[in-house]
Amino acid sequence: MEKVQLLLRQHVGAPCAPCVAVGDKVKKGTLIATPTGLGANIFSSVYGEVSEILEDRIIIKADAEQPDEFVPIDVPEDASKLDMIKAAGIVGMGGAGFPTGIKLNIDLSTTEMAELREDINPELPKDFKLEHSYILINNSECEPGLAHNIAQTVAETDKVVRGVKYCMEITKADKAIFAIKKKNKEAVLALMDALKDEPDITLHLLPDIYPMGEERAVVRECLGVNLDTTQLPSAARSVVLNLETVAKIAEAIEEKKPCITKNVTVRGNIKGGSDAHVFMNVPVGISVGELIEMAGGLDKEDSVGEIIMGGAFTGRAAELDEPTTKTTGAILTTYRMPDLTGKKVGLLVCACGGNEGRMRVIAEKMHGEVVSVCRCKQAIENKPGAPLKCLRPGNCPGQVKNNMQFKKDGCEYIIIGNCSDCSNTVMASAPQMGLKVFHQTDHVMRAVGHAQYRQLTVSKWVNQDINVAD
Amino acid sequence: MICLLQLKQHANDPAVLCCRAEAGITIEPANLEDPAIFDELVDSGLLNLDGCLKIGQVLGAKLTKTSDSLSPLTADNMEGYKDSVEEEAPAEEAPVEEYPAAAPVAVAAPVAAAATVAGGVLKIHIGEGKDIDLSIPVGALGGGAEVVEVAPAATAAAPAAAPTAEEVAKEGKVIRSLTRQHYAITEVKRGPETKIEGTVLTIREGIEQEVIDADALIKDFHIEIITPAQYHTYSETIMDVQPIATKDGDSKLGQGITRVIDGAVMVLSGTDEGGVQIGEFGSSEGYLDENIMWGRPGCPEKGEILIKGNIVVQAKTNMERRGPMTAHTVFDIVTQEIREALKKVEDDLIVDTETFEQVRHPGQKKVVIVKEIMGQGAMHDNFILPVEPVGVLGSRANVDLGNLPVCVSPLEVLDGCIHAITCIGPASKEMSRHYWREPLVLGALHDPEIDLCGVIFVGSPQINAEKFYVSERLGQTVEMMDVDGAFITTEGFGNNHIDFASHHEQIGMRGIPVVGLSFCANQGALVVGNKYMTAMVDNNKSEGGIENEILANNTLCPEEAVRALAMLKARMAGEEVKPAEKKWNPNVKSNNVEAIEEATGTKMELVENEQALPLSQKRIDKGYN
Repeated sequence: MEKVQLLLRQHVGAPCAPCVAVGDKVKKGTLIATPTGLGANIFSSVYGEVSEILEDRIIIKADAEQPDEFVPIDVPEDASKLDMIKAAGIVGMGGAGFPTGIKLNIDLSTTEMAELREDINPELPKDFKLEHSYILINNSECEPGLAHNIAQTVAETDKVVRGVKYCMEITKADKAIFAIKKKNKEAVLALMDALKDEPDITLHLLPDIYPMGEERAVVRECLGVNLDTTQLPSAARSVVLNLETVAKIAEAIEEKKPCITKNVTVRGNIKGGSDAHVFMNVPVGISVGELIEMAGGLDKEDSVGEIIMGGAFTGRAAELDEPTTKTTGAILTTYRMPDLTGKKVGLLVCACGGNEGRMRVIAEKMHGEVVSVCRCKQAIENKPGAPLKCLRPGNCPGQVKNNMQFKKDGCEYIIIGNCSDCSNTVMASAPQMGLKVFHQTDHVMRAVGHAQYRQLTVSKWVNQDINVAD
Repeated sequence: MICLLQLKQHANDPAVLCCRAEAGITIEPANLEDPAIFDELVDSGLLNLDGCLKIGQVLGAKLTKTSDSLSPLTADNMEGYKDSVEEEAPAEEAPVEEYPAAAPVAVAAPVAAAATVAGGVLKIHIGEGKDIDLSIPVGALGGGAEVVEVAPAATAAAPAAAPTAEEVAKEGKVIRSLTRQHYAITEVKRGPETKIEGTVLTIREGIEQEVIDADALIKDFHIEIITPAQYHTYSETIMDVQPIATKDGDSKLGQGITRVIDGAVMVLSGTDEGGVQIGEFGSSEGYLDENIMWGRPGCPEKGEILIKGNIVVQAKTNMERRGPMTAHTVFDIVTQEIREALKKVEDDLIVDTETFEQVRHPGQKKVVIVKEIMGQGAMHDNFILPVEPVGVLGSRANVDLGNLPVCVSPLEVLDGCIHAITCIGPASKEMSRHYWREPLVLGALHDPEIDLCGVIFVGSPQINAEKFYVSERLGQTVEMMDVDGAFITTEGFGNNHIDFASHHEQIGMRGIPVVGLSFCANQGALVVGNKYMTAMVDNNKSEGGIENEILANNTLCPEEAVRALAMLKARMAGEEVKPAEKKWNPNVKSNNVEAIEEATGTKMELVENEQALPLSQKRIDKGYN
């Protein structure tokens, strides 16, 4: 590692302003940039010297020696737990990047249940109210092929549970629920063991379908409440936090540790096979290429398709010299994508997968001519230009009308970005109509050895007893 | 996923899973596919609805087998479903849209439109849509039908509850009246002067040359007097059929006294110098007995004498504005001379007197009739509001008026305020005599259950930008009228359906229920559509659903007026009009007719179609039968 590049915007909000100068010596944990609006502190993740300050990043030349010690966050003796979280620069580590100190600045004990939309909550009484308030831990590791959340759950179970309890204390939530896929039996058992004396913290087991980690999907799975696309979890008296974020909260409070490392899964077209390479506590700001090298390097360099930063559904194509950030959860390398030789392609854009821009990039890389773009009817743009949000994540509204449109528009192929349930629906009519279906994640799934998203064969419901097979 | 608010509308539609559903679940609207797309899916073999239960039967019932998207819900995979769909009103009483509106041309706006319909019913129709996201407190809908009007809203389904004609007539307010004095003519001959003696009409010899000399475009003109015995006579295409009528004394058009001849009508036919028929989409040349749908409102009656002027216009002016316009103008020289003679006839020759009263019924639902007339140019034009019934003098051409809406009284319509230069398609064009006997105007005028406030003529310009300009003015005009319902009629088909659709939108978007009347069937299938075109009456009467070039075969007749009135009353009372099948099916009309007969207890005599005529060589050659 010769250098790290720390982007000034690694979070939802405005870019931070540098507070160091070129030539400054820095340590792990030296504050180098502070928020100018909504944002979170940024710290050096290495020992070294500021070598360059660009408009969007600070580049630090790393020393050869990298001791484990770090500079603790600079807070007064009597600082509150929330202040420590804010000072540590923690943001949503699951990928969203919302500043955690701001998210937790809520008193859930007095937060009222919001009015629910009846059409998406047909089973709930009109005046439904939640008796308790909740910290919901998104431990679903929602994107296929990722493994670092579950690895951390097993390796640092107690730390994670302590983190949850701090969050409950800060927000005055009286309950907490870990949302975790039932397939991760080892992690589930580890949590059950750690929680045996914690009556207010429980587990909710999830099926292995995509998406389960979407914030409102977590609320629905754990609490049975469907929020609409404009409602935050607080509408269901909850705060949803990613597993890794919770661990970072424990570190900030107990060790005064700033947010300078990230857990990452590297997987795909890698020498030695398609198993996941999980790297814990990787310094924020190292390059994509370095992570791939750490995992063993690209396997077949001449047949690389895409290098994706983030998950297969919600990630994007990245370059090898791009830096990672506080929200980088995965580097996925793929094999070459199929060549559609200029054939007519329709794009089915939905909230669960790539946006239209990402879908167009994929179509272009596959040499397809995009002649039609449809949207899943549940994909809702809350404001013009805002990212799409799914009205009922993971529950299909029907797709045949889109397929009919693709057919009318003369498409031979369609590329879809849908969730498990919607992909299944697309497959119920597209092949019969003569439409050949690709999923935007196909090349990734091939590279990580995961089944492609087509037919759905597993149930959306799992028995909540880990020892009862479904 | 179908919207909760569409549920009532879809209760009788097949229940098909929109996506995979697991055994044991309770069926909710979110599990069901939108029935609007089923026809296409069935057509393409993707869906088989055999044994499929209805949506109203399955909601709340349990799925017994995990089933994939597009699986019909049947007795095999459901349990606990209802035996039948519970309904507020029996299904057969709901009128059915007779022609499916075409898919909207433009991408629908990203919102669903909610239209508050009189009667307290919220109807939401989602056509083509994206991001449809409705949230309406259901409590606001639960109140049942609130009566907005003070007077009870009568519906076709409940005629017994309606106030009697006498009762309403008492309340009704007579605005004005029009009296037709009928003079019988039994013989038409030529002679030295134009005069009426007893029942004999004499037309001056040599008047033809005056017609020819009146305009340089007129190359030839001759008059044929065709008696019933001579109906098997060849004629060039019939441009117009006109009553012979004149205003009495100082009476103005639409009121006072009109004198009209019984037993003879004016018929204008013609070609250009090259023998090209003055028509656009088809022409009705041939033997008169084989090419006229006798007895249609716009046509001659069997037994009438036809005073037929055949005109030849300058080569190639048949499709220019000046050709047909001049032909109509100069032909009126003959008619005007007869009118002058009619004015002099003594009152003792009156054989019949008919009085039309324009009565307003302030307690009833207020209704306007919008009649779309052609204004693209050439023969697609109309002289509006001449001094004499169906005259030329004093009128303004629709095209010159910019096709903008013109409001007239129902009596002005019946008194010949439209001199029709007529439109494409012999079978669907509304000729001058049609307005004289317009069945919808007559039906609405004489219906005490509604308050007919007037008739709006609106032209159909050639250019789309102008169409929308005109249509938006129509919407604004209707908005100011505060009506509870509107009819929109049109003649022809194709180009003018763009306006027709836009008029529906302009009126419909203002929350006013609309019923449309047009020839559609097979050949006139709507080329455009929108979410407001949900109640349509098809004027088709041809066996094959085509423009068969039989004069006035597919024009609006009393049987259309009756259906449209029933449909609009139902819509104004908040009842749903069921969507039509995707393909034209004449049975829809017969079912609606039967439903009306059943509800009113009266038998509807349907008019004949071309099958009652001797088969012409043209029909054989063109394969029309």
